[in-house]
Amino acid sequence: MRKILPVVLLAFLLFGMTNQVNASDFVNPAALSAEIVNSDAEHSLPPVFMVIPFVTLLLLIAVMPLFAHHFWEKHYPKFSIALGTITVLYYLLVMNDTHSLLHTLAEYLSFIALLASLFVASGGILIKVDKKATPMLNVIFLLFGAVIANIIGTTGASMLLIRPFIKINQDRIKPYHIIFFIFLISNIGGALTPIGDPPLFLGFLRGVDFFWVFEHVWYMWLPTIIVVAAVFYFIDSRNNDGQEKSKEYTGQIEFKGYKNVVYLLIILISVFIDPNVISWVPNLYPLPFGIREIIMFSVVYLSYKTADKEILSSNEFDFEPIKEVAYLFIGIFATMIPALQLIAYEANLLGDKLNPGIFYWATGLLSGFLDNAPTYLNFLSAAMGKYGWDVNNAVDVHNFEIEHAVYLQAISVAAVFFGAMTYIGNGPNFMVKSISERAGIKMPSFFAYLIKYSIPILIPIFILVWLAFYYGRV
Amino acid sequence: MSTLNEVLTKNLHGLYYGNRILLPFKADILKAVIEKSIITDFSDFSEQAEYEIKDNRTEIYFYEYADLSEFITTYETIKLIVVEEGRDIFDIKNHIKLILHLNDGHEIKIEEAGENFLFIE
Repeated sequence: MRKILPVVLLAFLLFGMTNQVNASDFVNPAALSAEIVNSDAEHSLPPVFMVIPFVTLLLLIAVMPLFAHHFWEKHYPKFSIALGTITVLYYLLVMNDTHSLLHTLAEYLSFIALLASLFVASGGILIKVDKKATPMLNVIFLLFGAVIANIIGTTGASMLLIRPFIKINQDRIKPYHIIFFIFLISNIGGALTPIGDPPLFLGFLRGVDFFWVFEHVWYMWLPTIIVVAAVFYFIDSRNNDGQEKSKEYTGQIEFKGYKNVVYLLIILISVFIDPNVISWVPNLYPLPFGIREIIMFSVVYLSYKTADKEILSSNEFDFEPIKEVAYLFIGIFATMIPALQLIAYEANLLGDKLNPGIFYWATGLLSGFLDNAPTYLNFLSAAMGKYGWDVNNAVDVHNFEIEHAVYLQAISVAAVFFGAMTYIGNGPNFMVKSISERAGIKMPSFFAYLIKYSIPILIPIFILVWLAFYYGRV
Repeated sequence: MSTLNEVLTKNLHGLYYGNRILLPFKADILKAVIEKSIITDFSDFSEQAEYEIKDNRTEIYFYEYADLSEFITTYETIKLIVVEEGRDIFDIKNHIKLILHLNDGHEIKIEEAGENFLFIE
């Protein structure tokens, strides 16, 4: 309890003075950013220097594990909380803007509730695949993961599949196996449905039709997945480790922990328990969370308490990976408020000059370093603003998806795909890294990940997507 | 002194005190994984860990952990790759993956890593 106290304190700071905020602010705890855009009218923009805590936190996450690994391991919660507190205090005391803080807290709670519940529920499931690892088997595994990421979310698929993926490859595993897992299952795979990745879910809550994403993204998703898988196959084919082992394989796939599959289903159903989706769902104003988050946090407790101890032991279940995400991301969520507001302001100013290609790159590059959900909403707000429509109006969103589908498509694809660019681009990336390191796999640093993997592999593929679908589009 | 095989078959336990682990067999340590730390440097200059083979045991000191029990939670373990003293360290078949569970009373349960454990050499 002592260890999570700083997170709780910062959460309370974020919670701020709830009685100054309207009930409507809490209608949708997950939706934040577009209202931040709107709140700019009520609150002045933050000064540019307020981006410094965010940049500092990003630099610390990138640099400290390289140069002061153990110091960072021990003290990262303090840095994250301290930098987040600077931003929170500035908004409370100087800007008197509780609106942005509350929405950020609501979104953070929604984010961490989903991640924590999927992490704990999947920790009680054991999948054993007794097959000889081959590049083709790995490709099939990754493609399977990319598909089910659209059904159980990128986080659920990542948590469920990372351990069996490592086990299959344990005699030949290299960091690139994990990186491609992050590329395909933790990110790009989940671009087809609103359940797949949080930004698409925010779009769904705002009024984007459930199947719109599939209809408009599958023909970009499919070639991207195939090309990334082909690059993986090429690299994996050159890995001859483990060939000398003469182990007998039964070819069997064993699945244990059905009880926790029920918990996963509860989490997935609870995703839709939102006042914006189901009208009778109560609004819990003035609390910065909803029924959905209560269900998810309950699943965290129940799925842990009732899980098969042998499975937890086999999975070496530990709360540390989710604790790391909780600490780092509360700092990221808090410190990125000024950055998002400034970006939203600029995007709205420049809206007329921005074409789908610019929305694609801007949403994408920022999603790689900021959380992709608010980035998606800010750029969706800017794109709709070009046509005088409001992202808070479901009818406007519906009209926008029909009349200007290319913009929504560019923003959706970029927000999901580019989450794979860094460890902090999407929640599951960090957890996959952490689980892999605990299994003894030395993972590349933040910069090595960027320079050795995401820039040379993903950026050329993303350029191809841009050339094929957005280059020259107005 | 017991052999590693005796330790595993007779379920003999080790001990831990603070950052020090005592294993009831003699072995070289090739790799240790503790939380997210992957330790392969056991030299005198290492800031992470060091081990010593004594007359009837092997001792490991993890310098970054004042008290191991504070960091290793219920289902977590310390993982080691060891080669028993006298065995050919260059023969990969002699590399044994061990899982150490920290129990109450300073006791360490030692088991060989089975199929279920994620542990990459």
